[in-house]
Amino acid sequence: MAAPELAQTDPEGIEGVRMTWLNWPQSKVEASKCVIPIAASIQPIRPHVDLQILPYAPLRCKTCSAVLNPFCRVDFTALIWVCPFCFQRNHFPHYYSSMSQTNLPAELYPNFPSVEYSIQNPQNFNPAVAASPIFLFVLDTCMIEEELEFAKSALKRAIGLLPENAMVGFVSYGTQVQVHELGFSEMSKVYVFRGSKDISKDQVLEQLGIAVQGNRRAGPGMQKSGGGPSPVAGAGPNMGINRFLLPASECDYTLDSLLDELVTDQWPIAPGNRALRCTGVALSVATGLLGASTTGTCARIILLVGGPCTEGPGSIVSKDLSDPVRSHKDLDKDAAPFFKKAVHFYDELGKQLVSQGHVLDVFASALDQVGIAEMKIAIEKTGGLVVLAESFGHSVFKDSFKRIFEVGEQSLGIAFDGTLEINCSKDIKVQGIIGPCTSLEKKGPAVANTVIGQGNTTAWKMCGLDKSTCLTVFFDVSSGEKSDPAGSSQLYVQFLTSYQSSDGQMRLRVTTVARNWVSGSEDLVQGFDQEVAAVVMARLASFKMEMEEGFDATRWLDRNLIRLCSKFGDYRKDDPASFTLNPCFSLFPQFMFNLRRSQFVQVFNNSPDETAYFRILLNRESISNAVVMIQPSLISYAFSSLPAPTLLDVQSIAPDRILLLDSYFSVVIFHGMSIAQWRNMGCQNQPEHEGFAMLLQAPQEDAQLIIRDRFPVPRLVVCDQHGSQARFLLAKLNPSATYSNAQEMMQTGSDVIFTDDVSLQVFIDHLQRLAVQAS
Amino acid sequence: MAAPGGPRPGNFPPNYNPNSLSNNMQNLQINQQQPNNAGVSAPRPPPNATPFGQRAPAFAGSRPGPPPPGVFPRAPVPPNAPAQTTLPPNMVSSRPAGPPPGSQLPPPPFASRPPPPGAMPSSIGGPVTPSPPALGPRPGSYPSSPQTSAPSTPSHGSGSGPVSNGPPTFAPRMTQSGPPFPPAMGSMPRPLVGPPQPPAMLSSRPSSQPMQMHSSFGGPPTAVSSASGQSAPPFSGPPQNMMPPLGSSPFSAPNTGMHQSINSPYGMQTWPAQPQQVAPPPPGSMQQPPLMFGMPPGGQSLPNQSMAMSHSGQSNIDPNQIPRLAPSASVIVHETRQGNQANPPPPATSDYIVKDTGNSSPRYMRCTINQVPLTADLLSTSGMQMSLLVQPLALAHPSEEPIHVVDFGESGPVRCSRCKGYINPFVKFIDQGRRFICNLCGFMDETPRDYHCNLGPDGRRRDADERPELCRGTVEFVATKDYMVRDPMPAVFFFLIDVSMNPTQTGATAAACSAIRQVIADLPKGPRTMVGIATFDSTIHFYNLKRSSQQPLMLIVPDVQDVYTPLESDVIVQFSECCEHLEMLLDNIPTMFESNRIADSALGAAVKAAFLAMKNTGGKLLVFQSVLPSTGIGSLSVRESEGRSNISAGEKEAHKLLQPSDKTLKTMAMELAEYQVCVDLFITSQMYVDIASLSVIPRTTGGQVYYYYPFSARSDPAKLYNDLRWNITRPQGFEAVLRVRCSQGIQVQEYSGNFCKRIPTDVDLPAIDCDKTIMVSLNHDDKLQEGSECSFQCALLYTTVYGQRRIRVSTLSLPCTNMLSNLFRSADLDTQFTCITKQAAIEIPSAPLAQVRDQATNVCINILYSYRKFCATVSSSGQLILPEALKMLPLYTLALLKCIGLRSDGRIDDRSVWINYVSPLPTPLVIPLVYPRMIALQDLNEKELDDSIIPVPIPLSSEHIAIDGIYLLENGVDCLIYVGEDVQPNILQQMFGISSIEEIPNQFILQQYDNPLSKKLNDIVNEIRRQRCSYLRLRLCKKGDPSGMMFFSYLVEDKTANGFSYVEYLIHIHRQIQNKMA
Repeated sequence: MAAPELAQTDPEGIEGVRMTWLNWPQSKVEASKCVIPIAASIQPIRPHVDLQILPYAPLRCKTCSAVLNPFCRVDFTALIWVCPFCFQRNHFPHYYSSMSQTNLPAELYPNFPSVEYSIQNPQNFNPAVAASPIFLFVLDTCMIEEELEFAKSALKRAIGLLPENAMVGFVSYGTQVQVHELGFSEMSKVYVFRGSKDISKDQVLEQLGIAVQGNRRAGPGMQKSGGGPSPVAGAGPNMGINRFLLPASECDYTLDSLLDELVTDQWPIAPGNRALRCTGVALSVATGLLGASTTGTCARIILLVGGPCTEGPGSIVSKDLSDPVRSHKDLDKDAAPFFKKAVHFYDELGKQLVSQGHVLDVFASALDQVGIAEMKIAIEKTGGLVVLAESFGHSVFKDSFKRIFEVGEQSLGIAFDGTLEINCSKDIKVQGIIGPCTSLEKKGPAVANTVIGQGNTTAWKMCGLDKSTCLTVFFDVSSGEKSDPAGSSQLYVQFLTSYQSSDGQMRLRVTTVARNWVSGSEDLVQGFDQEVAAVVMARLASFKMEMEEGFDATRWLDRNLIRLCSKFGDYRKDDPASFTLNPCFSLFPQFMFNLRRSQFVQVFNNSPDETAYFRILLNRESISNAVVMIQPSLISYAFSSLPAPTLLDVQSIAPDRILLLDSYFSVVIFHGMSIAQWRNMGCQNQPEHEGFAMLLQAPQEDAQLIIRDRFPVPRLVVCDQHGSQARFLLAKLNPSATYSNAQEMMQTGSDVIFTDDVSLQVFIDHLQRLAVQAS
Repeated sequence: MAAPGGPRPGNFPPNYNPNSLSNNMQNLQINQQQPNNAGVSAPRPPPNATPFGQRAPAFAGSRPGPPPPGVFPRAPVPPNAPAQTTLPPNMVSSRPAGPPPGSQLPPPPFASRPPPPGAMPSSIGGPVTPSPPALGPRPGSYPSSPQTSAPSTPSHGSGSGPVSNGPPTFAPRMTQSGPPFPPAMGSMPRPLVGPPQPPAMLSSRPSSQPMQMHSSFGGPPTAVSSASGQSAPPFSGPPQNMMPPLGSSPFSAPNTGMHQSINSPYGMQTWPAQPQQVAPPPPGSMQQPPLMFGMPPGGQSLPNQSMAMSHSGQSNIDPNQIPRLAPSASVIVHETRQGNQANPPPPATSDYIVKDTGNSSPRYMRCTINQVPLTADLLSTSGMQMSLLVQPLALAHPSEEPIHVVDFGESGPVRCSRCKGYINPFVKFIDQGRRFICNLCGFMDETPRDYHCNLGPDGRRRDADERPELCRGTVEFVATKDYMVRDPMPAVFFFLIDVSMNPTQTGATAAACSAIRQVIADLPKGPRTMVGIATFDSTIHFYNLKRSSQQPLMLIVPDVQDVYTPLESDVIVQFSECCEHLEMLLDNIPTMFESNRIADSALGAAVKAAFLAMKNTGGKLLVFQSVLPSTGIGSLSVRESEGRSNISAGEKEAHKLLQPSDKTLKTMAMELAEYQVCVDLFITSQMYVDIASLSVIPRTTGGQVYYYYPFSARSDPAKLYNDLRWNITRPQGFEAVLRVRCSQGIQVQEYSGNFCKRIPTDVDLPAIDCDKTIMVSLNHDDKLQEGSECSFQCALLYTTVYGQRRIRVSTLSLPCTNMLSNLFRSADLDTQFTCITKQAAIEIPSAPLAQVRDQATNVCINILYSYRKFCATVSSSGQLILPEALKMLPLYTLALLKCIGLRSDGRIDDRSVWINYVSPLPTPLVIPLVYPRMIALQDLNEKELDDSIIPVPIPLSSEHIAIDGIYLLENGVDCLIYVGEDVQPNILQQMFGISSIEEIPNQFILQQYDNPLSKKLNDIVNEIRRQRCSYLRLRLCKKGDPSGMMFFSYLVEDKTANGFSYVEYLIHIHRQIQNKMA
């Protein structure tokens, strides 16, 4: 959406689904020859203007429980529909009797492959009560005074934005964990947990004095309510947890004064040591605390962390400052003694959270790493949000943080307790999903033998999701010949997403897509979606880099690209000059070129934390956003012309241009030399140079547009040619002009990139040569 | 060794440092107290305040002094001396009388007795004149005599002269033969003697028949008095005998003595004081020997001796004539050395003023025997034990000179390079002062150059009199860096309060908070005073007091299995910074937890957590607990059998319940001690709390257990407050190490008391205060040199509440002897008996009760047997002969057997508390604990109180309880006021504001009404409080009520289900001795 140069309008459409191949190869062999895996990118709860909300319950197939959809064959007279997945004949209930060819219920409209059912809570809970989400803030206090002040003020603002019925809890930590009992009026009261010792949920509850009371009293209550989703408030006022979680309307004053008094961690820091920070235990405690709420309650743990965990489980580095935090090199060489243990810890924590249905959000602001690489697993499994910034005072943090709590247009559309189920035609197998979800291990015939990401299932849990959440589903085609009893060449995939929306309603989104089986290469080519393919390759490469030891992503990408070109290119053998690619593939090599150079593959330029952060976002953002991450967009602003996308190339730099680079994580406004000079002279303030002022203004406004819609908020860099900040731009440009060929290229007054990297041209040349000689 | 000698008293000026710690402490307290009292008092009657005040200078003197009257005559005795003589007779007699002891039962003996008295008189009689005093009651007969005698004594005692008190006199004699003294004596202020004695002593006793008796005994008493002078007159016989013995072989002498009167036996006679002994008593009837109590000189005990006469129909023994304590009213002035001789100290329970003339004041260190036997054999023959009781920070009498503080600068105090003993008056300088010989190990050291001084013609350093360390038995050295492992710790006070359901509902929490709230004003001022507070139920709640906000922050540590401190700093804060917050918090805690429904209490974990918070500094941890710790580290369970009833079942293993139930708390206690944390436990309970297990912590860390059972929110808060206040304001020190060194030939066998034993040679004391005593048992590892002196040096390194590091060194040098009679003569009854009591307390948890009881009796029997066999062989076997110095031993032993700790019918917790209470208890408090003081109140108005506020005590026998009387009985812990059935209503009205006995409340609070009687009662109670440094739990008792039962259970001379009457016991003992003899 925010990438103008790709401005196909709404490629996802109402389905919210994009696939690498619109038409699917019929056999497994064929599929493997396609090089690019068959995958779908789905945004399960993407809003759409045409989306119909149906106030009744869906009809499900009695054998496969697929939901009635436009692709079902319907016998209006007999009131029977045939499930396209299992071919089961199902009767419509009587209230569908008025239905006819011309009077279709919404879920049968062909134009509405997606519909959403609004489900009455089975327990007839008062929706207003049921809706109360829990926000448990976990604040690190091991930071300098100034940072803590920033964090506190952000928290205060956030609490002010919370809906009145939202339940709020507060945990602060440093060397130890402090759980604040907000419901205690006599004085400030906190429970202190030791930071060096892991603590189970049961222990947390017992020690907080919740377990005994809670279990005893909540027990019968839960049985009565049938064990369904019963948010905390519904469980009765006796539950001890209400001492710690209060409606925002009741505790904002308490929290305010509490925050006012909160000081940085007072435990002494030995010289030459890091502060003792027990992030791991703090999260354990927070998780345990939320464990007291009944299943199905919507809750988020919002962690504000200012440095690495050095105490207790989840530690990522020793206390000694002379030990640096692990780098990619350390990870490669297995020289990060804390890494595996910490990952295991967060894995377990993630499982715990998922079983409770709660979300972990991490907001990290630190100059050093804080351990996102280790926490990643817990964040992704729960569908949490993550923001990495340099300071709590920085807009990247401040504005992003605020976004979570905003409502209305700007809202992230945060939803809870999501479950995705996939039904698909018989010969299709699901390998797994890469993205913010957890496998529910629901076995079935559609489960593939090979697993990618969260697999071995046809159902996934998404504790937290929002309207832009995106999942990548990998499909496999069964090896057997397509038996085609109906003679149809269509295949169907149905995505069922149930979730609790931010206003507390239970929803079920049903998206059914139909695609075609094809056998010819021609049909395949036409159905190729380059962007999706690029993104899927990026996600897959990232995934493999994490999962497979010694995986060489560059070679893997190269080889696949070459194979793809060999398969789908037009050329004469061994004649590179004869090589041409179908337009459907034309951008793909360039995507791959940029992907090879991107932070996703060239991880050594980044810390493991940054890499983890980038990957989390790569995996959960929409295709168009992910494409920008891989290949940033560049817009040029100049006198006498409209802003226009321009080549992502060093040659796009010109003294009298302003460039706007959107690389997703940062937005760079780059002033050419002359522009910078004029601006410094103050020309924009002179009435006769109104045009110049407008020129200066235009990229700013566009940048704000980009920033406004994006979460996390990108970092805005405004720089001038030859300025030090210009590196943010130069790093992303194709190095067509380097010091080695500076002479020939320098004519335009553009710039030179000091690098040994190959330029796109060289890359393409090699590709052509290799593609034609291959096989 | 230069004798510090008495001679130079007076000149210390140079070194003398007025600011000695002790002074400071006292002063402070004083100041505070006074004011406080007023302020504090709120809860309790104003007067009370004073009790604690004692430490206060004002009182200072008071403590020791006045009390005596009540106490044992001994000390004060001098006057009494005569009395003693009297006693001897009686005591013994009772039993003995039955010459045929074995065969005849008590009755007969008694019967016979009566006559004896008469007889006695003759023998004794002679001496009698003096005796009167002793027998209070009989005064009539004797009155005059005593005094007379007294005077005479002086001449003798002259040595002791200072005080009339017998004791002093002793000293001289003991060591040296009689003659030497005279000279010394001269120096002393004899005059005193005369006056005080007689009057005080006698008056009170209400003996009736006595008259006759007296006469008979009177004789003896006189003896006593004469003793001083030379009892000769009274017991003419004996004295003579006596004389010889001294000179001659120890034993022989005794024998002779024996014959006649007891006196002789003891070498005592030599002494002026001794004479009293004469114990012809019982037998009275018989001239001979029926029973003799030898009350040697030791005490002037005369008074006691009432004989056992047969006045009562059946019994032959007149209870009034059995050895009893004679009250002394006057203050004794005691010089620790006279004539270069150790001067035997006055009884620990007497009121005395010490002049440190070389030996340590007996307050700081006293030995069970004031002469040291040359060999282990001699000691074991005597049946006595040799132990020191050291109380290094004991409160001094206000009239005493403060302890000198000596600063040696950077080099630190001069010490022996071999044994590390500290320089003291008994170090001998030789070679023109260039070298010195250590009196402890005999090693020859070079005198440090800048400490060199030439010797005078007498062989002493010329500057000896100017240097306190060379002429004072107790000095305090400023410690240098070498004595510090770290900077001296701040004074940290951490309060830990149980807020679980029980205490919040019983009011214990509120009482604790209120006590703390009032007490914090008394904390030492200054930046070095830190405080912290925490509460606990099933979790531990700390409070951050250092906040800008209006409210403290409560920090809860919920993990009671594995605790930690919730903050590194700010849990313990400078007092000045958090005073307001603390007060507010203390006000809030009771209401905050008012409706607490958590019944569990995690005491162990809370202590551990507080410890972690205090680990860096150490300090005092004051814990207020009410229930059995039921959760977390060190939780306890209601133990089998006892738990339910809290009464020991009396089975074989019953004593197991008095042992800690597991090692967890012990381990924790060791850790606490290692980091200098001292724990005091205030138990405000209404049920079993397993004191046996809990007390391990205070005992190991130098603290103590305070026990309020059953806690009453009405009457106990005042005591709680006062206990807490005294706990905090009394003189005390932190991070202390104590060590006792002895001359070659003697070694320390064991220390016992409340401290941490890590290595056998040192006593680690996270905290020590003026009330803590450590018993040091000694044994021989070699033979001593005849004619030499044996030194004991106690060194206490500690940090004052103001952060100065000090070493308090007390040195005691005693003569050595190879005469058994000297040992008996110089035995220190109070100290001996204190050791016996403490040992019994140590034994109780590990041995069957019967065994402990037998052992106590056996100790008594063995000593008397030894005396009988070796020092009084001549007398007939039918006589019970008691060494004068130890004549009260049977009575005390009997009383001990009836103590709650040695009874099988007590609650387990009560027994544990008793054991714990005894463990660190100083001698002057052990005696009343075992043998309480009882006084009559009904006739307060009629009596013109002489200088002492407290009337003369009466024996603990129900015969002395009249139905129209009101009696006050106190043992330093409890104070029972018994109201007879027929008390005049107007007295009740005046004293208690009630009109009839039926209105006696369960929970009693003493109030002062506007009438002289009430005022006197309050004065008395306050005086007792002051003496005991204890607020006392007051209770009104009446007959037919459990309270009445309790009262009567303290009357140890009565026959009870638990044991013999006094007379019976004497007979029992006598029989045992006779069996042994046979």
